[in-house]
Amino acid sequence: MRDELTAQVVGLVAEALQVAPETIEAETAFGDLPQWDSMGHMEIMLALEERFGVEVSAETIGALTSVPLIVAHLQEKSDD
Amino acid sequence: MTEKITFAPAVPIPAHLIGQVQSKLAYVDERILRGAVSPQGDGITLEVRVPLSPEEQKILEDKVQQVVAAMARGALRPKVKILEDYLDRPVPYGEDPMPELERRGEVFQEAAGIYTLGPLLTRLVAYFESRFEELAASFGAQPYRFPTLVPAKNLARVNYFHAFPHSLTFVTHLRSDLDVINHFAESAACDEHGILHTPEGTYADVETLLSPAVCYHLYFSLADKPLPAENVTATAVGNCFRYESSNLNSLERLWNFTMREVIFVGAKDFVLANRETARRRMEKIFAEIGLAYRVESANDPFFVGEFRKQAAFQSAFDLKFEIRARLPFKNDTLAVGSYNYHQDFFGRHLNITQADGSPVHTGCVAFGLERMAFAFLAQYGFDESAWPEAVRKGAAA
Repeated sequence: MRDELTAQVVGLVAEALQVAPETIEAETAFGDLPQWDSMGHMEIMLALEERFGVEVSAETIGALTSVPLIVAHLQEKSDD
Repeated sequence: MTEKITFAPAVPIPAHLIGQVQSKLAYVDERILRGAVSPQGDGITLEVRVPLSPEEQKILEDKVQQVVAAMARGALRPKVKILEDYLDRPVPYGEDPMPELERRGEVFQEAAGIYTLGPLLTRLVAYFESRFEELAASFGAQPYRFPTLVPAKNLARVNYFHAFPHSLTFVTHLRSDLDVINHFAESAACDEHGILHTPEGTYADVETLLSPAVCYHLYFSLADKPLPAENVTATAVGNCFRYESSNLNSLERLWNFTMREVIFVGAKDFVLANRETARRRMEKIFAEIGLAYRVESANDPFFVGEFRKQAAFQSAFDLKFEIRARLPFKNDTLAVGSYNYHQDFFGRHLNITQADGSPVHTGCVAFGLERMAFAFLAQYGFDESAWPEAVRKGAAA
């Protein structure tokens, strides 16, 4: 389940940053690649809002700064 | 003859965005003299230079609605963090200082946003600068002198054209061609609006602009190599240029202004710790100056298309805090300085690396000298005996 979610997040991040999916790994974080900069990060946030209904707030923008953190947040949300 | 047009925004403008949207209205159309958003965010009034036909009004309204939609639709309410609040510090003056400054010949307006300052303002600017230099010295900051001009290619590397296109000021010169130069010398003339008319093809391509910021020059000088030391702390004062269209207003909003900055380059912890130390040291200095102010979270004035995302990002990561001085005469505040952290933005874009090869982090504290002097006079007025002792002595004639 988690592996599947990680794969989905990897795909979403790659799409938002407009990079090849193989560029993104399960541990990739903000700043690890040039495209994941401030603007790239906001593209990811907007994609998360659109696809998973994640509320884009100062808290989520500041907290969801890596693939594992995003996965954990989505997991937590689905457990609620 | 001016005309007013009023309409409702397609999307309600949240309270925290009213000022930001209003400031962008000046850039929508050259015929707009003034734009105002109602305090409830449910109405927009434009004052235009010339009467418009219904079709022209519709086109103008559509352009404004584009701006509103881009900035307000789905806008993120920013975190409001107040780090210091001395807005209630008692101050003795309550008038707008501009009429008195004009009466005394202390300001001479050459054009919108371009002022010559007289002896009193110059003394105040020099005094406040000495206090900011004192802050710089407390960090052992190395002094730098930066140029007023900045190459376009440098600004392009840090995405400046994308983020702040509206405030750019371009520099050019005559083409190096004898005929062009002779023709210009013989025919150049300004019309009654101050517009210099020249034949097409007179000017060279734009490769240079007037610099919009001070600290950028340090980063450009460090580009494409490892940082020469573990950390760099620098200070400089410089002219900055930000075109603000019809928002240019008195000494509050100048096209050409002066900033003193203290700049930190190095590891993340180094930059963040020094930004915080600078704030605490300035808190003591502002107490001596007697300034009524608040330090609160803020964002840079990104242009419409970039605004929503960039402003949200700055807010989420606490990247910018402004020092907002009280202007008692208008029951408002004015940003006189800021504490900034850029993360590794400049390190990555300019390829400045730390010893371990990772991009450097940067931050700066910046003070607008004309605004400081203006805010001080707005709070303390012209009777120097009523000024706080430190200012009275430090800025004595």
